[in-house]
Amino acid sequence: MSCENPTTDPDALMNRRPKFDKAKTCIKCKIAEGNIVIRHAVYCKDCFFPLLKTKFKRSLEPFVNRLPNGPRKKALNPSGNLLIGFSGGLGSTVLLDLVHKSYFSHRKPRESGGEVEAVPEQQETGAGDRYRDPRQERVWKKAAVCYVEVAGAFPGMKDRTEDIQRIVESYDDFEFVPLKIEDAFNGEWWESVDQCPSSSLLNFDISNEELPFFQSDSTRLTPLERLHTYLSRLPSPTAIPSTIRTLTRLLLLYTAHSTSSSHLLLGTSLTSLSISLIASVAMGGGFGVSEEVQEEWIPPRSGIEGRKEVGVRVVRPLRDVVNKECATWAWWNGLTVVGQETVPGFKQTIGGLTKDFIIGLERDYPSTVSAIARTCGKLTPKDEAGGQCVMCQRPAQRGMEIWKQRISVRSLADLEEAPSGIPIGTQENQPSLSPYLCYACHATMTSKSSRANPSSTNGPKLPTSTSDSKTVSNLVPLPVWVTARLFGPADKVQAEDPSREGSGDALRDGEVWRNVELGREEMRTAVKDFLLDQDE
Amino acid sequence: MLTISLKIEFAGGLELLFSNQRSHRISIPSNPASTPNEPPKRADITYLIHWLKDNLLKERVELFIENGTVRPGILVLVNDTDWELEGEGSYELMDGDEIVFISTLHGG
Repeated sequence: MSCENPTTDPDALMNRRPKFDKAKTCIKCKIAEGNIVIRHAVYCKDCFFPLLKTKFKRSLEPFVNRLPNGPRKKALNPSGNLLIGFSGGLGSTVLLDLVHKSYFSHRKPRESGGEVEAVPEQQETGAGDRYRDPRQERVWKKAAVCYVEVAGAFPGMKDRTEDIQRIVESYDDFEFVPLKIEDAFNGEWWESVDQCPSSSLLNFDISNEELPFFQSDSTRLTPLERLHTYLSRLPSPTAIPSTIRTLTRLLLLYTAHSTSSSHLLLGTSLTSLSISLIASVAMGGGFGVSEEVQEEWIPPRSGIEGRKEVGVRVVRPLRDVVNKECATWAWWNGLTVVGQETVPGFKQTIGGLTKDFIIGLERDYPSTVSAIARTCGKLTPKDEAGGQCVMCQRPAQRGMEIWKQRISVRSLADLEEAPSGIPIGTQENQPSLSPYLCYACHATMTSKSSRANPSSTNGPKLPTSTSDSKTVSNLVPLPVWVTARLFGPADKVQAEDPSREGSGDALRDGEVWRNVELGREEMRTAVKDFLLDQDE
Repeated sequence: MLTISLKIEFAGGLELLFSNQRSHRISIPSNPASTPNEPPKRADITYLIHWLKDNLLKERVELFIENGTVRPGILVLVNDTDWELEGEGSYELMDGDEIVFISTLHGG
C-alpha cells in the first residue's frame, strides 16, 4: 500500500474510529440511550451513578476490616476512625461526596463501645431495638477531613483554606482539620499530634552527597522560613513538587494517627494513580511502587512511654475510576470543585511531563492507562526492605549506598571541603543522613538537574530565608519527624536495619555514637566466658 | 446571516479562562464559511471551539486548545451527553443546544 497525500487526496485519510464499542445504547440497562463513554463502554445517566458507587465500594470495603479477607458483607468493623485527605481537587471532591453518601447520610451514628455485630439474615427485619443492622449504622464512629495548604511555600499562591472549609462544612458529619505545609517544620504541630518534642533541631549539608547532619541553632527561624530554606536548596525543579508531596503525605499520616484513625482515604483516581506510579518510578521510587497503590503505615516509636502504636491503612477508593468519571459525577451532582493551584514550574518536572503524557494517552487509548495501574499493582520488590526511610517513612531497600557508589561517578572534591561554621565533629565521624534514606529521597535531595539550580532559572521563584549567609548556605533544616527519629536512641534505626552496621552514626544527647564492626578475635574475647570448652 | 443560540457552560476550573464566568449565552452563525472559496457548511463543535477562542477566551489559549481541538483532559457534553457519542468535533450544532466544557485536570 502506498503512502498517499491526504492534502491532495481526501480519501487517503482513514475514517476515525468511534470511541465506543457497538451501539449508542447503554450496555447495562440495554434500553436507554447512552450518555457517557467510559473506556469504550456506553452508559446512560441512570446506570452511571450505581456503577461509580460500586467501583468505589469495591476498592474500599475489602480493606475496612483489619483482616482484608474477613466476612464483610454485613459487618464492616474498622479498628479506628476515618480521615479523608482533601486537596480541593476533582478526585478528593468526588471522594468526599461518595463517602458521605455511602456511609454517613441516612445512617445512624455508630453506638460507642464494641464493634458492630453481624446479624443473622432472618432476624434482620422487624427485630426492633434488640438487633442492630450494620447497614443502617455508620461504619466509622468519627470522620475528619484534613486539608494541607501549600500556599505558604510559593509566593503569590492563593490560600484556599476558607473555600475548602466551606465545602467540608456543607457536609454535617465531618470535622475539619486544616494544616499548613510549613507544619512539617513546626515543633508545636509535632506535639499536637501526640509526638515527643525534640529538644533541638538538626540541619544537614545538602551540597555533600553523604548529607552530614549537625545540631542547629536555627530555632529563631519560623517554620515557614525553614520550609523556604529547604525548598530553595533543593537541587532540581522535580525535587520541589516531589518534596511537597512527601511532606503532605506525612502530615496526613501523623494527623490520621493522632485522630486515632485506622484509615486514611485519598482521592487518587486511576488517572492520577497511573501518573504517580510512572513518575515515582522515574524518580527512583521503584522499590516502593506497591506503596503508591496500597499502603500500611506504622509510625516509628513516638518515644512516649506505654503508648501503643496503631497503624494507618492508606486506601485509594477511586483507583478504578478515571478522571472523566470523576468530572461527570461532579457535574451531574452539582459539586463545587475548588481546584488546586499548580506548583510553579511544575510543567517542566518529571511529574508534570508524566501528567501531560498520561492525559494525552488516556484520550487516545483509554484502556492503556488502567493497564499501567494494574501492572504496577502486581509488582513486588525482589528483596525484603532493609528498614524504613526517615524522610518518607516508606520501606527502604538494603545497600542503597553501595549500589549507588557502584553505578555512579562521584567526586571526592566535595568531601575535602567541610562547610565552615560547623558546630560539632569532623567529616570522618560526622553522622550522615544518607544511610537512613531510601533511594528516591536520597535522589530527590542530591540528584542535580542538568540545568541550573531551580531557584535561579526556570524553576519556581522561591523566597529565601533570612538566614541566608555564606556560612550556612548549604545547611538545610530537617522536617520534625526526621529530627525526632535521628535524635532518638541510636539503636532505633540500627535495629531496624542490620545492613547498615558500620555506617550507622547517631546523635544521642548531642554525643556521636558509632557502630564499629568487630573482628573474629575481638568477638571471641567478648563472649569467651560463655563458650564451652572444646575438649569437654 | 442566520444565527443559532447556544448555552455554554464551563466547569472544573475552565471558567477561570473565560472571565471567571461559568455560564454564557451566545449566538453564532449557523452556516459559517471556513475559507472565502469554500461553500458555507453547518456550524459544528470544532467551529464553536475556535469561535470561543476568538470571542470569549481571555487568557492562556494553550490550556483550552491543542492541535485544533480541545486539550486532552477536557470533557465535552452536548445536551448532557458525552460528545464522543455525538461525533466529537463534527457534531452539527442546533439552535438551543447546551454545550458544557469540563476540565478534569484540576488536581486530585
